[in-house]
Amino acid sequence: MTRTSRSFRTVAATAALAALGLLATACGGGGGSTDAASGGKPVTIDYWTWTLGAKSTVDAFNRTHKDVKVRFTEIPSGTEGYSKLANAVKAGNAPDVATIEYQMVPEFASQGNLIDLTKYAGETVRTKFPKSVQSMVTFGGRTWTVPYDMAPQLLYYRTDLFKKYGIAVPKTWDDFKKAAEKVRKENSGTRLASMPKNDPALLAALAWQAGGKWFGTQGDAWRTGVDDAATKKVAAYWDGLVKDDLVQTFTGYSPEETKARAQGTTLAFLGASWSAGGMKTALPDLKGKWAAAPLPNWGTPASGNYGGTSYGVLKGSEHVEAAAEFITWLTTNKSGVEARLADLTSPSSALPADQDMRKVAAARFDTSYFDGQDLYALASQQADTIVPGWTWGPDQMDVYTAVQDTTATSGFSAGVEAGERKAESGITDRGLKLRK
Amino acid sequence: MATPSARTAGPPAGHAAPAGPGRSAAGEPTGGVRPGRGRRRAAALLITPFFVLFGAVMVAPIGYALWMSLFRERSSGLGFGGTRRVFAGLGNYTTALSDAGFRASFAHIALYCLLYIPVMIGGSLALALLVDSALARARRFFQLALFLPHAIPGLIASIIWIYLYTPGLSPVLDWIQAAGGSWDFYANDHVLLSMINLSAWQWTGYNMVIFYAALQAVPREVIEAAVVDGAGALRTALRIKIPMIASAIVMTVLFTCVGAIQIFTEPKVLNQRGAPSIDTEWSPTLFIWKAGFVQHDYGLAAAASLMLAALGIALSFVVTRLGNRWKAAV
Repeated sequence: MTRTSRSFRTVAATAALAALGLLATACGGGGGSTDAASGGKPVTIDYWTWTLGAKSTVDAFNRTHKDVKVRFTEIPSGTEGYSKLANAVKAGNAPDVATIEYQMVPEFASQGNLIDLTKYAGETVRTKFPKSVQSMVTFGGRTWTVPYDMAPQLLYYRTDLFKKYGIAVPKTWDDFKKAAEKVRKENSGTRLASMPKNDPALLAALAWQAGGKWFGTQGDAWRTGVDDAATKKVAAYWDGLVKDDLVQTFTGYSPEETKARAQGTTLAFLGASWSAGGMKTALPDLKGKWAAAPLPNWGTPASGNYGGTSYGVLKGSEHVEAAAEFITWLTTNKSGVEARLADLTSPSSALPADQDMRKVAAARFDTSYFDGQDLYALASQQADTIVPGWTWGPDQMDVYTAVQDTTATSGFSAGVEAGERKAESGITDRGLKLRK
Repeated sequence: MATPSARTAGPPAGHAAPAGPGRSAAGEPTGGVRPGRGRRRAAALLITPFFVLFGAVMVAPIGYALWMSLFRERSSGLGFGGTRRVFAGLGNYTTALSDAGFRASFAHIALYCLLYIPVMIGGSLALALLVDSALARARRFFQLALFLPHAIPGLIASIIWIYLYTPGLSPVLDWIQAAGGSWDFYANDHVLLSMINLSAWQWTGYNMVIFYAALQAVPREVIEAAVVDGAGALRTALRIKIPMIASAIVMTVLFTCVGAIQIFTEPKVLNQRGAPSIDTEWSPTLFIWKAGFVQHDYGLAAAASLMLAALGIALSFVVTRLGNRWKAAV
């Protein structure tokens, strides 16, 4: 009897202690980040991202800075990541700094998730970045985020297999179609490329390249054109290739897509400057067998922006100044850019929007995977062909899901029509002004 | 389960109090004089944590959702001047109900429930009856083997099945092709079956264990009497065993219904892996998730959640009602 009651008491005491301990750590965890920068103590800021090379960038920053310390958390990219960020803002525990792609800047800013950075970084953005990039982070006369990279589209292809099937690198979309026909004829189990039905961002970039404009502003009103003539042309082109079974339709960024590339049953893919970074880890055995080329075009050299990232400070941050310091370092400091490319496991291949940083990145990039090809020179050259005048929408994610849902069942043409309907209703539903 | 001693003992004063800390504090004041009050106080003390938790994790969130569902966030012009909250009344409810996608999501889960529940409950009942009549040693094995899938988290299970469903990755599809056949798990006509297969795989074993446990409580003499009277195994199962575990069946049907209308993981994963007819608002919970986390429309998400909760409550009521009628009939 005594034995049991003593052991019971021990257990109870331990449990109580453990509970207290939990409470204490819980409180400590919450309090740490809200500590003000008083008394010479370093300010700690939280940074959430999914970009390649983030870990080594943060390490480099923390090594060289005494006043600001950065705590890095990896989050998923795409819808999941933005949901996480938006929820964190709502819940009041958002990180100070996060990666916001250009396509999400208007939505995040207009939802009230971003802090206006004009005061802290407006000057930097105005002086260091090309006009075309400035317009993607400046809305309503205010600077919302600081750009990092531009993402000109590129065609990545297998040099050995192109030679084997006797295909020249396609220059136009007509050539691309002919090449696709040829590949299919040569080997029925192989296709030139895959066009994912679940990656509306790629479709948007292709529409951009063709001169489409999904959104625009006129005075204090939005204009929409998700199904404009250029976009319809692009959608119909890909619907045709899918119908004729000339391209695969693997789910984008899926194991089956990677497997087909690894096996050589997909010869090429539509990517952007940043795509190269992940290939070293995803397809290590194919080192030296890949090259990049300008994306096929509609007659004149042109490119869309497929992705592209910027950095914003999220609402609720108590260290806006420190956050802005970190962001400025990330985007415009030599060692920030170098650290990103020096990451051992996942080096970045993004093309900095800041011209000076572009040179830094180009010098640091390991070209051995591409058999010595100067990827940065190609990407820089393509960045100059990005069609000006594109604007992302204030309900971009919703438009994407509408495009994606309808594309899955009824093809790209129907997808962009559904996207246009959602673009319009999304704007008016929130009380924003829409000009038809 | 109340034992006679617990029912008659009243205050524990009559027992030789085992020496232990905390014991006297509870025992002293009553001393057998006013048994009622002490017990009532103890009951109140014991039940308080339930009400505190119930209030904190059920009533408060539902109340908050109700409050949220009455508001909407609006901006003006281009929208960069910030947002403001405006009272919407029942606006969010009418928005949800007039959304074709939201209405379709209920049709999807209705069809899903109609196919899934009979298959899964029927399957687990059949398995439980088989295991119950199997050899004593085989029972343990089957019980464990059939329960095992449930021990795998739903998300992991979904990923495993998706792997088996995906062309180019799946060994199963390779075998089918090698045998000269063809099958597309994601095709519009098949994808619902693929989803039901996934859910049934996870839940059949779990419910089988519940049925099997209930069957163990069926008095053996009743079954023996049936056998003596000349009833075969099938007849015993249908006429004796099933009626005697009717309560367990009604309970599992109730839980399954409530769970099935909230299906999320399976369609979400199937959607991400490119099953064309499973869109991003295929089930009500996906619609709610999208409203809240993609469109950032918390009012709409709250209104839709409450409507789904109302359906759950109504369904529980109907299932319990029908179940009681059935229990009385058998």
